[in-house]
Amino acid sequence: MKQVIKVTVNGEYYEKEVVVHKSLLDFLRDDLNLTGTKKGCDNGDCGSCTVLLNGKPINSCMMLAVEADGCEILTIEGIAGGKELHPIQKAFVESGAIQCGYCTPGMVMAAKALLDENPDPSETEIREAIVGHLCRCTGYDQIVRAIKKAASYLNKK
Amino acid sequence: MGELIGKPVPLIDSVDKVTGKQIYGSDFKLPGMLYGKVLRSPIAHGRILHIDAGRARSLPGVKAVIVGTEIELPNYSVAGEKMLDERLLAKDKVRYRGDEVALIAAVDEDTAEEALSLIKVEYEELPGVFDLEQAMQPDAPLVHDEFGSNIAREMTINHGDIEKAFAEADVIVEGRYETPRVHHGYLEPHAVVAQWDARGKVTFWIPTQSHMLARMTYANALGVGQEQVRVIQLPLGGGFGGKLEYKLHPLCALLARETGRPVKMVNTRTEELMASLPRVPMIIEMQLAARKDGTLLGKKARVLADNGAYMNYGPGILLSATTRSDNLYRIKNIFTKGYLIYTNKVPTGAFRGFGCPQSHFALETMLDKLAVELNMDPAELRLKNASQKGDITPHNWYLGSCGLSDCIKKSVEVAGWSSKRKKYAENKESKLARGIGIACCLHVSGNRTFLPFFDGSSAYVRINEEGRVTVFPGEVDIGQGSKTVFAIIAASELGIPLEWVDVPNLDTDINPHGLGTFGDRVTTLGGNAVKAAAINAREQLLAVAAEELQTPVENLKIENGVIYDCNSDKRISFPEAAQIASYKQAGATIIGKGSFVPPGVTMVHPETKVGNVSCAYPFVTQIAEVEVNRETGQVKLLNIVSAHDLGKAINPLMAEGQVLGAVAQGIGFALTEEMIEEKGIIKNQSFKHYNMPRSVDMPSITSILVESNDPNGPYGAKGLGEPALTAIAPAIANAIYHAVGVRIDTLPITPEKILKALHEKEN
Repeated sequence: MKQVIKVTVNGEYYEKEVVVHKSLLDFLRDDLNLTGTKKGCDNGDCGSCTVLLNGKPINSCMMLAVEADGCEILTIEGIAGGKELHPIQKAFVESGAIQCGYCTPGMVMAAKALLDENPDPSETEIREAIVGHLCRCTGYDQIVRAIKKAASYLNKK
Repeated sequence: MGELIGKPVPLIDSVDKVTGKQIYGSDFKLPGMLYGKVLRSPIAHGRILHIDAGRARSLPGVKAVIVGTEIELPNYSVAGEKMLDERLLAKDKVRYRGDEVALIAAVDEDTAEEALSLIKVEYEELPGVFDLEQAMQPDAPLVHDEFGSNIAREMTINHGDIEKAFAEADVIVEGRYETPRVHHGYLEPHAVVAQWDARGKVTFWIPTQSHMLARMTYANALGVGQEQVRVIQLPLGGGFGGKLEYKLHPLCALLARETGRPVKMVNTRTEELMASLPRVPMIIEMQLAARKDGTLLGKKARVLADNGAYMNYGPGILLSATTRSDNLYRIKNIFTKGYLIYTNKVPTGAFRGFGCPQSHFALETMLDKLAVELNMDPAELRLKNASQKGDITPHNWYLGSCGLSDCIKKSVEVAGWSSKRKKYAENKESKLARGIGIACCLHVSGNRTFLPFFDGSSAYVRINEEGRVTVFPGEVDIGQGSKTVFAIIAASELGIPLEWVDVPNLDTDINPHGLGTFGDRVTTLGGNAVKAAAINAREQLLAVAAEELQTPVENLKIENGVIYDCNSDKRISFPEAAQIASYKQAGATIIGKGSFVPPGVTMVHPETKVGNVSCAYPFVTQIAEVEVNRETGQVKLLNIVSAHDLGKAINPLMAEGQVLGAVAQGIGFALTEEMIEEKGIIKNQSFKHYNMPRSVDMPSITSILVESNDPNGPYGAKGLGEPALTAIAPAIANAIYHAVGVRIDTLPITPEKILKALHEKEN
């Protein structure tokens, strides 16, 4: 069974017919070709598929595309908004917070959600904000450092 | 030259990764692509009586159904192993829960999955073997009937006079250790796209750690020539040893051949946790003999290693577990028996450390026990026996550099070892008890493998007509940053900015033959090869520049992208010289070739297992500080200090990243991770129930890089990433003993085990 949904993704409006049991993640990756959002577990356990839905971070694998009807979605492809990296992305690159990079898009989106709410988070708050995100390469330290650095970049603006 | 070496540099591909532009294996698509799925055995051991795939075949959207009992397939093995125990699909028997039985290709994943549910398989269930000791018994059910035994490999290591050593000892300690099946937990599941061309050549687009091993093994598995297989490597979302050869890839090729279309297959996370190639579980019994003054006299061990249902890298891993840790300290008398054993469980394979985390957990816990018996500081005991630079060990390893003693001394100092040892020992009765523990380990930097035909690494460095440089290495970047290390080396040798260098993914039709990424071989062997290729390219370019500038070539140097004459003001830009070089040869660009064959390295002797298997050996000391709750058995990690003799840090930013990530993986191995299995069935098939460390579980970690400057490493560099995991589990176990006086010898060290041990100790 299919249904038509209307969503705005990274500022672009889409009206698309989707299979009703398709996850928002698969819709983004397969129907819109936005493969920057990653599928790590398809079970809500790893956070790789995190996008912002009306500004809030969600596991896009745990939501049906039809449930996102009428929503505004931001993915890793839309975060920079131009040719320059977003300050969070810049901080991730500089801090060595990226190894294989598979968790990175989800981590960056989680960091954005955190810093939008709390511009100057403590280390504990940062660690709690990314607790739903698995990273197997970095041991998290350099990611935490990157988010701190991103906060300082954003606060300087 | 050289100013880039040792400078912290972000990964050259990190912008692609942070913007979501990097196309990983699981993202890759081709036009007209179908989706494949595997039907896996629901039982651990059984005979296939009948398969009915009729309903699956008639489902609309299904393009191919391949059933193992109906198709001709060769037997094959992985990594040149002589026992051909694998076949792409089960023929008469299934040997573990997850064994591949049939395949579907369909227009989409949903249809493929629906078709799977329509295949009916009738099994006659057989008794299985799940226990290593039982599997060794002559009357045990056989996993592979044709081999007549479940013992796949037996090894005996014998050096010196073990009986004499034990007879002369003042102290003997013994122990029995168990390590579980643990999963790599790479975030990207295995993925593959395969397609055959009209001339009968198959191309794989795969996230793989070794393009060449994949080509070799998949050719054998498919029964085609290696020249009919092309592997294009895609970026990996994590590997850790788990993305060497994997059956899903050639299975996909079967579907692509049958349908004449490109086919994509991606594992679900459940499939990852039931049917990939996790760490080899081991049971290790060990005895250590020493003099009163702490001098180690002898070591006896018996190692049982769980191969699972099929042979993967088990022989190499058992060899590693039965030999490598013997070289850490000066022990002359050694006797070890090792057995690799088939069971009806998930096949096991390579995982960061390759047998060393298992063997060092035993050895390093035993040393702690010995220190207690001798009433000696465990760090002192290690320093007293530590191998040193210049040593030739009983296994004939030559230690051209060895920073073990420095690692011990520096980590002890940074951790505040002596004062904490004393302080925590005084407070043994409170509810929250603190302890501090130490452990050491070593590894190889490029292991002379089981493949007799070659060792070493090669690379091409191409300078195009714009003076931009492309490095074609033989080794794969699996996220650890080897592309960046190779770019640093090439830029450094060519005297150009790092931004002028690119390192594409590997392709068997383009890159040199290389064994790929394992055994901490990439920086040491691959780095030397890239260095040699860059020097060769530089020489070609300078010859052209010398002619153009009318000056002797030996006067020329390159810095910041400019070639200049040291004795005059003559100069030419690097791109200009590159263009002249290319146009003079009708467009042929400069291609530098470089090879590195590690000197003095041999394969091990087939019987004695003696051989200098690597041209350099990295060393590690790790100190863990814990707080144990006596009422709940919970362990809180307070601090980790991790000291690494890596020879030379070419890129300290990512070297630190290797340490931090490996420590996290070591913490999981020590405390939380286990693929819980009952009669061959894995019970925790999701990340929800397979507990890998998360951001809030991590203690403060201090990494110390000790630069011992190895004579064989490029700029002195050795391996780093693998041993950085190895000593964490014993360091934590020893810290727990220091805190509450109980030893947990079976990983993972869960609160239940600690409470039980505390209870037994008190009663």
